[in-house]
Amino acid sequence: MGQEERAREFVGAFQALRAEVEKVIVGHGEIITHVLTGMFAGGHILLEGVPGLGKTLLIKTLAEGLELSFSRIQFTPDLMPADIVGTNIIVEDADGRKHFQFQHGPIFAHILLADEINRATPKTQSALLEGMQEGAVTVGGASRPLPAPFFVLATQNPIEMEGTYPLPEAQLDRFFFKLRVRYPALEELNAIIDRTTQARQVAVNRVLSGPTVLGFRELIREVPIASHVRDFASAIVMATHPQWDQAPEVARRFVRYGASPRGAQALVLGAKVRALAEGRYNVSVDDIKALAAPALRHRIILNFEGEAEGVDTDTLVGQIVESVEAAAVERKEVFLR
Amino acid sequence: MTHPLPIETLVRRVARQVRLRRAEHAGVRGAFWGAAAAALLLVFRSPLGAVALALAAGLVAAGVLAGVAWGLARRVGARDAARVADRAFALDDRVATVLEWAERPDRTPLVDALVADTLARVEALEPRRMVERVSPREARWLPVPVLAGLVLLLAPPVPMPAGGLPDFLPSRGDEEREERSASTLLEERTRPLAKEPLKRAMLEERDFAQRAGASGAASAGDLAAIFKDTSLSGQRPDFNSFLKKGDERLKLLENVDRLPDLQSDFTSTTYKMVFRKSKALSSGLRPDQISPQKLRELLDEMERLGRKGGTWGGDAAEGMEALEGGETDKALQAMQKALDKMRAMDEAQRSGKGLRGGRERDRGARGRDRGRGEGVGPEDQDFGDTDGLLPGTGRSPLAKGEATARLRARPYDVGVEGESRRGRKDGYDTNLTGRGGTMGSRLQYLGVVGQYRKQMEDAIAREQIPREYHDQIKEYFQALDER
Repeated sequence: MGQEERAREFVGAFQALRAEVEKVIVGHGEIITHVLTGMFAGGHILLEGVPGLGKTLLIKTLAEGLELSFSRIQFTPDLMPADIVGTNIIVEDADGRKHFQFQHGPIFAHILLADEINRATPKTQSALLEGMQEGAVTVGGASRPLPAPFFVLATQNPIEMEGTYPLPEAQLDRFFFKLRVRYPALEELNAIIDRTTQARQVAVNRVLSGPTVLGFRELIREVPIASHVRDFASAIVMATHPQWDQAPEVARRFVRYGASPRGAQALVLGAKVRALAEGRYNVSVDDIKALAAPALRHRIILNFEGEAEGVDTDTLVGQIVESVEAAAVERKEVFLR
Repeated sequence: MTHPLPIETLVRRVARQVRLRRAEHAGVRGAFWGAAAAALLLVFRSPLGAVALALAAGLVAAGVLAGVAWGLARRVGARDAARVADRAFALDDRVATVLEWAERPDRTPLVDALVADTLARVEALEPRRMVERVSPREARWLPVPVLAGLVLLLAPPVPMPAGGLPDFLPSRGDEEREERSASTLLEERTRPLAKEPLKRAMLEERDFAQRAGASGAASAGDLAAIFKDTSLSGQRPDFNSFLKKGDERLKLLENVDRLPDLQSDFTSTTYKMVFRKSKALSSGLRPDQISPQKLRELLDEMERLGRKGGTWGGDAAEGMEALEGGETDKALQAMQKALDKMRAMDEAQRSGKGLRGGRERDRGARGRDRGRGEGVGPEDQDFGDTDGLLPGTGRSPLAKGEATARLRARPYDVGVEGESRRGRKDGYDTNLTGRGGTMGSRLQYLGVVGQYRKQMEDAIAREQIPREYHDQIKEYFQALDER
C-alpha cells in the first residue's frame, strides 16, 4: 500500500473514530479533535474542567471505539503509588514454597483514565511519571514495559477547588496537550438533555485496533514540514521565555519559566496530525497557530505579577503567537509579506 | 527528483511579478527625486539657457530608469516566491514545502504524495495578479516637483545676481540713529519696575487693634461692638498666627504623599496577593509536603517586597536561611511572621495610619510621653508583632503600668493600659485594669481576639475544614467583636 493510500486511510479512521465519539458526546468538537490528535501523535492528554461536563464520558467513549484494553483509576487523597503500578505479593505454589509474584496495577492497560488526577497526593501523581515518559514502570528493581500503545487521559478539576493538589511542573510537562473543557452552549445543553434522558442506548462501534494506531503514528512522523514553518514553531516556544532577547513584552512581564523543548515537539507533532487529518501532506503555519494554546498553556509558568494580575495563559499564548507572526512579517520587505 | 515544471513555473511567475512590482515602486521613487532635482535645475535656467530644459528632462528620466533598473536587478529567492504564491492562492504552504523537500536526501514517501497533490492544485490555478501594487510615500508628493518644474518652465527666468554684491551696509547717520533708539529701548527694558509699597500684615493688625481696643469708641460696623459683652471683646485678633496656620495648611497640601490615597484598590493589595500565594502553597499540605522551591520563591518575593519599605524583609530572609538548612517548619513560621507584618501594615494603610507625617511621626514622641501618664488609645497600638502578646512571652523587665484615672471612673469598666517596650523587636505590654485588674491576666482582650482570629483565618485557609463550618466559625468571631 502506498503512503498516499495510507494517508487516506488515516483520514478515514480519524473521521470514523470522531463520529463514534460524537454519537455520545454532544458538542466539544474541538476537544474531541484535540484528544484524537494527541492520541495519534503518541502523547498523553490532560482534560481540565469543572465536574459534570463529560470529561470522563468522552474518554470512556473513546476507549469503546478502540480495540484496546482500558482501565480507570479514580484518584483520591489516600491512593498510594502501589495502587497504580502494582506490587509484589507473596504466593504459595503447589509444592508449598512461597515466592514473590508481581501483581499488575491498573497502569498496565493501553488506555488509562486517570480520573480527577489532582485529588491524589503528589507522591501518587508521580507514580505515573515513568510510565508516561518511558512506557515502562520499575517495581522492586525490575523494569516492566507497558503495553503499546500506551495512552494516559487524565482529568482534573480546576486547582482553585477544595481538596486538590496541583500537578508538579515535571508531570504537567509530560502531558502532550492540556485541554480546557468549557460549559456547553444552550443548544448543546438541550441536545445533552434529549440524548441522556431518553431510553434509547447508543452503541459505539470499535473502529481501530492497537497495531493500526501504532502504524498511523509512524506515518504521521513522515509528514514533511517546511523550514519556515518549523522556525515559526521554534520562535513561538522561544518567545515564551522572558530571558530570550527577542521575547515579546507580555512574556517579559508575566512569565517566569517558558515552555520546554517538549512543548516544541508537541506543537510540531500535533500540527503533523492535524495536517494529515485534514488531508494535507505538509504542515502549515495555520496548524502551528491552531495548536499553540493546547500545547503550551500548561508549560508556561507565570511569575508573581502574572498571577497577581490574573493573566490567562491562553490569552498570553495568543499574544505571543501574534507578536511572533508580526515580527516575522516585519522582517520581510513589503512585496514578500 | 527535480521540482515539477508547473510548480517551478508558478514560482518563476511570482518572482517575476515581485520584480515588476519592485521596479514600479522604485521607478516612482526615482521619478520623484529626479523631478525634484529637475525643478531645482530650472530655477537656475537663465545662465544655462536651452540646455537646462534638456538636463531637467534627463534628470527625470534618469531617476525613473535608475529606480526601475534597481527594482529589476534585485533577485527574488525561490522560497520567498513560493511563500508568496502559497499565500496568494491559499495553498497552505504546500509550494514552499515541495520546493524545500523535493530535493532533500531524507525525503519521506509522503513527499511524493505532497508533490502530486501540489501539482494538481497548481495546474488548476488560474493566472492572476498575485503581488499587490504598493505605492511609495513619494508618489503622493510627486505632483509637487512636477508642477514646480512646469511653473518654472513657463515663468520668466529668475534673475540671477550679476557682478558685486549690493552694499547692504547702512550709512553712519542711520547707524547713530539706530543706536540711539536702541539704547532708549534698552534703558526702558532694563529699568527696574517701581516697587509698590506692600502693606505688611503687622501694620494692618496695628490699625485694626487701635480701632478695636477696649478703650476706643465703638463705631458702626465695628466687631468689638458686637462682642462687647463677651470675653472676646477684650481679645485682639491674631492675624499672624492665622496666616501662619494657613501657610502650614497650604504647605501640607503641597505634600501629596501625605494625603490619603482614596483611589487605591485595597482589595488587591500586596498582602492579599502574598497571602493567596501562601494559601495556594500550603493548602491541605503538611510542612514536609510543601515544595521547597515554591516556598523559596515566595520568601524571595516577600523579601523583595520588604526591601521596598516593609518591615518583614528580615523575617523572609530568616525563612530563606531556615529553608537552606532544611528546616521547613522554621521557614514556614518565618513566612507566617512576615505575613503578619504585611497584614499589619496593610491594615494600617487602609485605616489611613500609613500616611507619613502627622501620626506616625508623633508616635515616638507619644511613646515617650506614656511614662508621664498620658493616655494612649487602642488605635495607637501595633499588633503586627506577635511577641509579647501571649502569656509568658513578654520580655519587659519593667513593672506593669497602673490603670489611668479615666478608666477607674466606673468600677465595672474593664480596660487595658500598656507600655511600649523597646528592644530588638518593639512590643507592647498590657495590663488589665478595672475590676479584672486584680486578676493575674495581663493580656489585652482585643489583641488576643485579633490574634486568634488571625490564626482562625490561617487555619481555614491551610487545613481541610469542611466548607460548611467556615461560616459558622466566622460568625462566632464576629459575635465576639460585637460584644
